[in-house]
Amino acid sequence: MTTDIETIGMLRNSLERYVEDNCSFLQRQELMKEPGSFSQQVWSDLAEFGFLSLCLPAEHDGLDGDAAAVGALMEVVGQALLQEPFLMSAVLATRLVARLGDAGQRGRLLVGLAAGELIFSCALEQADACQLEDNRLSGRIPLVMHGDAAHGLLVAARDARGQLQLCLVDTDQSGVQRTAARLLDGRGAASVTLDNAQVELLATPNNGLSLVDNLQLLRDEASVALCGEACGMIRVLLDTTNDYLKVRKQFGKPLAVNQALQHRMADLYLLLQEALALTDAAQRALSGPVAERRRLVSGAYTYICDAARQVANEAVQLHGGLGITEELNVTHYFRRVMLLNSLFGGRDQHFLRFVEQSLTAA
Amino acid sequence: MSTQLLEKAQQLREAVRHFVAHEMPAELRVKSQRHQVLERQDYLQWMQLLERKGWAVGHWPQQYGGRQWSSLERFVFEDELARLGCPWIIPFGVKYVGPVIYTFGSEQQKQRFLPGIVKTEEFWAQGYSEPGAGSDLAGLRTRAVRDGDHYVVNGQKVWTTYAQWADWLFCLVRTGTDGKPQSGISFLLIDMRSPGVTVKPIHTMDGYHHVNEVWLEDVRVPVENLVGEEGAGWTYAKFLLQNERTAGAIVGQARHVLDRLKKQAVETRVDGRPLIEQPLMRNRIGEFELRFLALEQASYAGVLAMDEGRDNGGEASLIKIRGTELYQQVSETLVDALAEAGMVFDTEALHATPGLPLLGADDVGGILKEHLYNRANTIFGGSSEVQRNILAKVVLGL
Repeated sequence: MTTDIETIGMLRNSLERYVEDNCSFLQRQELMKEPGSFSQQVWSDLAEFGFLSLCLPAEHDGLDGDAAAVGALMEVVGQALLQEPFLMSAVLATRLVARLGDAGQRGRLLVGLAAGELIFSCALEQADACQLEDNRLSGRIPLVMHGDAAHGLLVAARDARGQLQLCLVDTDQSGVQRTAARLLDGRGAASVTLDNAQVELLATPNNGLSLVDNLQLLRDEASVALCGEACGMIRVLLDTTNDYLKVRKQFGKPLAVNQALQHRMADLYLLLQEALALTDAAQRALSGPVAERRRLVSGAYTYICDAARQVANEAVQLHGGLGITEELNVTHYFRRVMLLNSLFGGRDQHFLRFVEQSLTAA
Repeated sequence: MSTQLLEKAQQLREAVRHFVAHEMPAELRVKSQRHQVLERQDYLQWMQLLERKGWAVGHWPQQYGGRQWSSLERFVFEDELARLGCPWIIPFGVKYVGPVIYTFGSEQQKQRFLPGIVKTEEFWAQGYSEPGAGSDLAGLRTRAVRDGDHYVVNGQKVWTTYAQWADWLFCLVRTGTDGKPQSGISFLLIDMRSPGVTVKPIHTMDGYHHVNEVWLEDVRVPVENLVGEEGAGWTYAKFLLQNERTAGAIVGQARHVLDRLKKQAVETRVDGRPLIEQPLMRNRIGEFELRFLALEQASYAGVLAMDEGRDNGGEASLIKIRGTELYQQVSETLVDALAEAGMVFDTEALHATPGLPLLGADDVGGILKEHLYNRANTIFGGSSEVQRNILAKVVLGL
């Protein structure tokens, strides 16, 4: 399953054009006042133009896009700081349903996900936070990104025998209590309490991997998708700062003529190049042998988290006082970059796994 | 396209591995892997071994005896040799002056010089830097004045690697003083046996003789040894530097020393336990592995971009900055991990055939020698500062 390079380029270009017209920084500022902090209009446009079908299997008329295709769109998501639940619902939840749902579930859910009528989110990191008994789930999940807007939650939990299961929780039932929250970067989220909530299990792997292996693969795919998003953010931060240094004058000359600043920018440029190359490598590794997949995905994620943070810190610093203001786009990238260290297990867990994988060979 | 390129490069990498394991003379391999001092004869043997494989000038066009390697093949070739701790590929003939001669030289020059370069029958040295012209090379002042069928050359070159062994010097000289400093530079081929050429050694902190001063006093150089046009030498000099872009050896060296550090961290014991079990050392090695992964992937991406014509001029600087800085830092940690053995340095032993140090593994002395000399890596071939200037100007437009 490889998406050809022309299709990827076309998808990226059309999403770029769409967000230029419809998801500018000022339009995004307005969204912060909306419930869920995203635009229903943008979401249904993304569905209409087919972006939400990216990960849909071909037999459901989807594009069956690979990691490179997801990555290309995630770069645009990062460039524009899109607020919509593209990664959670259209990539991760859609892949889970497609790989683990039975024929009935796939037929019932995938079309709704691709149409944007169903929004799902995922809580895969804390399998011990909830208990599953007789298809009833109880417990508390501290935070689910887009959990405020989601119609369904895919929750990893252990059943009475200690087996890992993937539960689909319909959020529209009395056993589900949600407290809406706003993330550091303004995206919507929820804290979720489950009290004997009725669930259905997605327990029919159809890709030759066990459920546990599927969940691990999906977490790796999520991290690699975030690498793409981070590349998009790094690129904008670098370009914005570079342009600023050329126009901002101090002591009668542009900041850009100072060698100390030129060298710092050169270092940021190196980080972008490394982030792009690592993202490509991690995308390729997703379809390779498991040990190498773990090493490359975790290495790429760790390096890119650090790179993005350094670029964001420097972008703020080099903008001077302006660099800490709400009205400058840089600070909004800064906030989303902060989140990278904590999502899907987070930077440090990846680093530990990378060290483990790199030193076992020694 | 990139899949095919990658496959071909991978085949070459495997052929290199096989060659080093099964065909390279054991004595040379051991000497090199211990980083002992290699003499002129060792390098001649090495280059001629590579020539017999068709690899010494693999990156040259077929008509001059090359294999028309892609940038990626060239990169992988140098990378793999360095990973395996093989001798340096002395670049002055095969990488530097050879391509200048076959691109800009006269028919007569090609016939006279190329065969000797391909077979490394003649040793070349590079006459670029001067006491007043290092990073700012265009400030060079060595003068060449036309006198009948000769140029008369006066001046001084410095940091000239292996000039003590060289038969020929390719040399940037000033033939004009009008206009910009870059105009008025010419590219001359100077016979090192000419009267007026004096080589004076410069001893470096590793206790060895790599580099020299070359004094040129009324040296008469036949006009037919001018490459290309008088005054156009800067163009050829820049072309030559471009040929240095696919510096796979930098990446391979970093990998080699990192592998050696991991081995040392298993062997060195602290309170009876291997050093590698300590969280501090695991963390250090993990950070180095992470930086190596980034270097390796970004290098591959950059070299592929060159082959596909998507490069922007920043790729070589990335490899140079990241590779040399990582190599130096891993090397520091390796010396620290050697413990007592890392404090004893016997330069005499590095020349001896068994070359065994007083303490530690048999390559300890070589590790120290390499560590001392590798401080030069961030200085020569465009210092890290110059590389960052290039990125800022060429890529970022600052």
